[in-house]
Order: sequence, then structure tokens, then C-alpha cells
Amino acid sequence: MHSDLSNLRGQLEAIVGQDQVVAGVAGTAAFAVDGILPELVVRPGTQDEVSQVVAACARIGAAMIPWGGGTAMGLGNAPTRTQVVIQLDRVNRVVEWDPANLTITAEAGMRLAALQELVAKERAIFPLDPPADHRVSLGGMVAANQNGPSRLRYGTVRDWVLGMRVVLPDGQRIHCGGKVIKNVSGYDMNKLFIRSLGTLGIITEVTFKLLPMPAQWASMIGLFPDLAGARTVVEKAMASFLLPESLDLLNPEAVALLAPSLGIPVAPGTWGIALALAGSPETVARQDRDFAALFQEAGGQVAPVPAGQTSRTWRAIRNLLDGAHADNPARILCKITVPIARTCDLVAAAGELGRRCGLQAAVMAYAGSGVIWALYLPAMDAVPGSPVASALEALRGEAAAAGGSLVLHDAPSPLKRQVDAWGEPGTGLGMMKRLKAEFDPRGLCNPGRFVGGI
Amino acid sequence: MTEKTFVEELRQIVGKANVLDGSVDLQLYQYDGFLEERRPEAVAFVHSTEEVARVVEVCNRHGRPFVPRGGGTNLTGGTIPFKGGLVIEMIRMNRILEVDCTSLWARVQPGLFNLELGNALAPMGYQFLPDPASQKAATLGGNVAENAGGPHCFKYGVTTNHILGMTVVQADGQVVQLGGTAPDPLGYDLPGVFVGSEGTFGICTEIVAKIARLPESVKTLLAIYDTIDAGSRTVSAIVAAGMIPATLEMMDQLVIQAVEASLHCGLPLDCATVLLIEVDGLRDDLELQAKAIEDLCLAHGAREVRQAKDDTERNLLWAGRRGAFGAVARLAPSFLVCDGTVPRTALPEAIRKVAEVALKYDLRIPNVFHAGDGNLHPLILFDWRDADQKARVLKAGMEILALCASLGGTISGEHGVGLEKLEAMRLVLSEADIETQRRVKRTFDPRNLANPGKMFPAPEEVVCAQ
Repeated sequence: MHSDLSNLRGQLEAIVGQDQVVAGVAGTAAFAVDGILPELVVRPGTQDEVSQVVAACARIGAAMIPWGGGTAMGLGNAPTRTQVVIQLDRVNRVVEWDPANLTITAEAGMRLAALQELVAKERAIFPLDPPADHRVSLGGMVAANQNGPSRLRYGTVRDWVLGMRVVLPDGQRIHCGGKVIKNVSGYDMNKLFIRSLGTLGIITEVTFKLLPMPAQWASMIGLFPDLAGARTVVEKAMASFLLPESLDLLNPEAVALLAPSLGIPVAPGTWGIALALAGSPETVARQDRDFAALFQEAGGQVAPVPAGQTSRTWRAIRNLLDGAHADNPARILCKITVPIARTCDLVAAAGELGRRCGLQAAVMAYAGSGVIWALYLPAMDAVPGSPVASALEALRGEAAAAGGSLVLHDAPSPLKRQVDAWGEPGTGLGMMKRLKAEFDPRGLCNPGRFVGGI
Repeated sequence: MTEKTFVEELRQIVGKANVLDGSVDLQLYQYDGFLEERRPEAVAFVHSTEEVARVVEVCNRHGRPFVPRGGGTNLTGGTIPFKGGLVIEMIRMNRILEVDCTSLWARVQPGLFNLELGNALAPMGYQFLPDPASQKAATLGGNVAENAGGPHCFKYGVTTNHILGMTVVQADGQVVQLGGTAPDPLGYDLPGVFVGSEGTFGICTEIVAKIARLPESVKTLLAIYDTIDAGSRTVSAIVAAGMIPATLEMMDQLVIQAVEASLHCGLPLDCATVLLIEVDGLRDDLELQAKAIEDLCLAHGAREVRQAKDDTERNLLWAGRRGAFGAVARLAPSFLVCDGTVPRTALPEAIRKVAEVALKYDLRIPNVFHAGDGNLHPLILFDWRDADQKARVLKAGMEILALCASLGGTISGEHGVGLEKLEAMRLVLSEADIETQRRVKRTFDPRNLANPGKMFPAPEEVVCAQ
């Protein structure tokens, strides 16, 4: 170990205690990012310790990688440097839980499922549903902008964060926002850190807005012989007054992945729509009826989800692609975004890519939100000039031409060397680079993983 | 070759008639809804992104500050040219460029009034959800700059929750596109950082706004109370019962009397407060929701709950609420609007304390609230010709903001900081927090030319060639 780093190890041990600093391959192997091992893993126990750890790293110019539940570590490009992983799972306290005002303030390392469980006791919900809720940390969810199917009804992380505490790349602690649902006291600093993938600082605490728990949840699956039928349902639903919580479109490979959880036989080539409804018994019943009619008119078969199975089925759906074949090092998981009207086109194109490249392509879209997830398996060994890289670039081109993007959320490292994880961020990149230079001039926080080499 | 003057260069870009520099004209641009006045050096009317970019480039070259101005409905001095320089009048950039009802966005110019967008979308069955009470005269560019709220934002969020992207002329005159028509644009959330920056980062010249389907049905209730405390307690009770109405608005007796005198909405003059509650969504459960809310209001001491029978009755009630600020102008020559926000459950206590402040400074303070989100608008009445009274008003305003902060709230819910709340920023932010915000400002506007003197206490000096 470099002498600066061994000095750092001593300093970090003095801050967090000897047993909370890990060095050596055995301890750090689980914290590799794109195959690169950190020198040290440090586990601060409080927000103040995070600040001291960051300040100590900054003094010697050590590159820092914040780590929550590790659910977004495949997102982005390979880091240009990895020295210290700062693991936040011990910084996981509830700071203030205010049921009457429907707000909760908790530390970044807390798991989303734990927060959900806590607020459910007072009949409140945090309405977003990213995959892997038992693993995803609050800080990671916010920093990586992790959302799920329910974004159709509830929006994304940026719509639910009221305030946060952040440790800046020099160790300084700041506070943004507050706990009231309207707040224009100065710039909206929360937005600077949401979705920044830890490149401007480390989020240590978040205040969320919550909702009262809906009286009822229901779910319905529609099975269609082709995309055209499913597409009709999506378009009619979006033009109607109906307000589903989630409206997911699944291609046949995605339906095949889900079929075991449904417990019903599904013919090959079947497309699916997974629908979640939430609200009063009256509005759920009305939507249930209207959607059943829509499904049938479009030539679909309704596969009702038994009342007691709604949450289990939805857990399977939200984790479907994120969790599938997670141990396969060859898997490629992409997120494609387009204006809502183009969603079905890109679902088709993403499936077509699989057929062209000899990959199995499971595609699932948050159909009313313009977000498409594509999981490709098994990826061939990516070699320069391989069709996968150029096919992904072509698909990205199609998304970009529609005004959207394609981002690699998980991909083999060799492929990431050929295909930038993000693509071209547009004319705002200059401003982004200036912000990065202002907040982290030496490029210490998650260097190289974000857009444009940030 | 002699160098052209600042104003000559502006005239070359936007045309002779589109630059004002006569003293009478400039006088019209030296104030907004706040108490300060500063005269600009010139006013330029702009018509396109390209013109804005060229005008800002000229400001840069001449080291002149610039302030964009839309409807001028700002209440905190945000549009006052505090350091002189140029006012860039955006009001002629008022077109709807494109509406896509399938992808749910509308691309508009910033000088369009909020209500005009709503009126254009309604026949198609769509709406833009942020609805500041001033929507008749407030522009969307101003809504973006101030991150405007309105009655709807309790359920639907504020302006930032409804902006997908924008074209921005940076403080150096460069044009950049932030966000767009697809969700989750790449990189930092620059539209999110820009919304609410009060013109201090640059000028937004085009907006991609999210639109939404109009609700299938709406029910509007008016709950009438003999004590203000009972009304404010009902607000939390409704939310505690698991309901999120589309709006939860409150007005006190002085406001009601002023509204009735000018608008004749049929509000009872003898009550202490009214709650204006609206539920929207699928028609199937709205009658039940309305009944549940009515029962809650009565259980919490409402003497009567009325339901609007039709659109005419509904519009009349809303005309009263939206016209409240205007109507209060009947009560005194001037008023200062406070904009403190508290957690919803602290509303009854905040209202009591505002009344104490009124007593302490011997002032009349009628109140309008966005009660659902804990946003108070105490309107401190005064006569601007009375210097002693004006001084008491400023003290009382600061005290109200301080009490909101001490109740766990903040100093501005939706009106912004502007000039009014520079010092109040310290009530809710540490020096490190404020300095971090200044760093963002420096990143976007290193020469401090974009609306200088706003947002931060101890404003930095303009780096000015003059």
C-alpha cells in the first residue's frame, strides 16, 4: 500500500474505530466497481464521521466511492480511480418521523424496505417502488435516481425529497431544503445532488414527503397475442381519465420471466401488460372494470391477480429485469428513455436488437412514463467491433433522435470500454463540468463514472 | 471607428422602438409588488431566443447587469433592477409553440401567462397544474424563475415538478438546452437547479412543461367557521383521515370582508374563517370524499358546509380566493405579503402568533393561507406615506418569518427571496449552506451580472466595467 494510503488507514481507524476499516483483497473484494478493487473500505457510524472520513481522504487526494446498498454500482462508466469505498450502511438512523405532517427524515444508509415498514405502521407510504427495496439505501436511491413502475402516478425521487444533508467533497457538511412541502428559501439545492451519482458530495440524510396509505390495491395482468393489442391498451388508457398506479408493458421474453410468479400457463410469443391500481374501493373497482373491458376490446386475455397476491406479484414485476440473472457477468441491462408516445416503438426496437445480435432480450416498459428497461442475455464476449456494441449505439441513436437516451445500468467491463455508459448529454455538459469543477475540483468523488467523464 | 454605446448596440439588435431609455418609461420598470424601487438604465423588448442571447452578450461586453421581467407580479423585489443595468422585457415572447397530448408536454415561450396556457389546453381536455393565484397576469417564465406554487400544489406539487426542460441563455450569452421532452435527462438535474433561481443564473427563453389530463370530476366545498382555530385544526384532520384534496385554502374574516366588498362571491361576512376545499379525480368516489370532508369539518366546529352546485358557483368561490390580494388593496394603501411556511400541524399555533405580532406592532394583518401545505400569507396593511408604520411593517414581517422558521418551517413557500428576505435567509440556512449556494451562483454567473443583489445576504459586488 502506498504510504499516503497507509497513513490514511491509520487516520480513518482513529475516526471510525479499527474494526470499521478494511484493507486487503479478502475484505475489499465485495466492493469492486467494474472489477476494480478499492484499497480501503471504511464504515463510518455517524454523519459526522462521514464528514471526517471525507475530509481525511480529501487531504491526501484519495478517490472516494460512496456505497449504500450497492444496487447501482453497475451504473455508469468504470471509475478512473478507486481508493476508498465509504460504506454508509451504519449511518441508518431515523432522525424524525412525523406521521401527522407525513414527512420522515432518515439517514442515507437506511434501507427503503425498512422505511416503508416503519411508515406503514401509521398508515403512510413512500410511494416510489425501485427494484430491490430490501437492499436499496435511501441515499443510493436518491443519488442514482432509482424509481419503479409507480412513477406513472407518483413521479420520481425529485418529486418526493424535501430536504437533505450532504457532505461535500472537502468534508464540509451542508443542509438543503427543509421539511415543508413548499420551499423556495434560496436555490433548490436538493436537485443538485439528486441523480448526481455521488459526484458532487455524499448524501447522508434525506427528508421525504409521504402519502396516506391507499385504502385498496389491486392488480391485473393482460396477455396479448402481439404488440399491437397491448399498444392499443396503453394508448387508450393514457388518453382516458383512468389513473393507474403502474402500467407496465412486457415483451414475450419478459412475460416468460414473469410467468413462474403468475402461476398460469403462458403461450410463447405472448405480450403482457401489468397493471396496478390504488385508491378507494370505488375508484379501484371502476378502473378494474374499465381496464378489463379495454383488455378484451384489444384482443387480450385478462389474468386477474388474486387479492392476496397483489404485493407479491408486484414485487416480482418491479424486480423482474433488475434481479434476473444478476450473477451472470455477461448480462447487459439498459434503461432507455423517450417521450411517452414513442415508448412502444423503442420497446420493439430493443427487442429487435436482441434478435439481430443473437441475444435473449427481455424488455419491460413503464409504458406511461417513457422508460424502457432491456435485459440482454447471454452477452457474447464483447470484442472490438462486435455487433453488440454497434447495435447498442444504433439503438441509442434511435432513442436520442426521439429526444431520449440509453444508459447502461449493468454491463460487462469490456463492453463498457467500447460503449460509453451514458451517451451524449447535450449542450448542458459545459455547465455540468463547471459545477463538478466548483464542488470537486480534484475529481475525488466517484471519478469518471458519470456523464461526460465527470 | 467610435465605439457604440450600450443602448445603441441594444437598438441595433431589437430595433429602435424596442429599447426604452426615457425617464418616464424607466420609472415604470423600477418597481414590482415589493417596497423597493431602483431605476434601470434601459429596457429592451425581446422576441426570440437569439435576440435574448445577443442582448445578454452586449450586457456582458459592457459589464451591465440584466434582469428579465415577465408579468411583474413578483412580490419580493425579484424583478427590481437593484444594481441598475438592463431590464429585459419578456412579455412579447408569449406563444405556445407545440402541444403533444400523447407525450404530455407543451413547449411554450416564457412570456405566456399561466392562465393562457390553461385556457388553450382545457378544450383539448388537458391542464398545466401549477396555478398561482396571480395566474391571469403571471408569466410561465416568472413561474419558472420563482418556482411558483398555487392552490393546486398541495396535491400536485409546485412548478419544478411540472417542468421537463428549457432553453436557457446563460449569463455569458451562450444558449443551452436543459432537459427536454423525455424523462430523466442525462447528467445533473439542471432544469431542477434552474427553476427557482430568480433570474440569477440566466434567462429561460423556452419551456417544456408537463401537462396532465383534466380530472374527470371536481367537487368544491366551502366550510364556514366561527373561530379560526377550528378551521385550521380541520386541515390536519382531513389529511389524517387519509385524504389529499386538490386544494385546501383558507381566508380569514378581514380578507372575506374585503373580497365580498369587491367581488360579491356570497361569502358570509360574520364568520371567522372559511376553508375552500376541492377534491378531484375519478367521479366514482368524489361524492363520498366530499361527504367525509363535510362530516370532518362539522365535527371540528364548522357552522355550515356548502357545496358548489355547478361551475358558476365554483368559479365564483374561486374568483374570491384568486382575487383576495387585489381585494385587500381596498383596506389600506399598501400591504406587505408574508410567505412563511410551517408544517401543517403547526398552522393553528402560527396563526395565533401572527395575531400576537399584529398586536405588538399595532398593525392590521389579514390572512390568506394555502392551508394544506402550511403556507401562510399574512398581509400586513400599512400606508406607505407613513415612515414609522413602514418601519414597523418590516419588523413585523421579519418576526413572522422568524416564528415560521422556529416552528420547523421556512421563510418562503412560493414567493422567493428576492430583496425582501435576504437577511431572513440566515433564519433557515447556515453560513456554509449560503456559501454553497453562492458557489452555484458563481458557477452559472461568474461576473454576477444576472439579477445581482438578490437571494443572498451581504450581496457580492457587481464586477462592472463602469
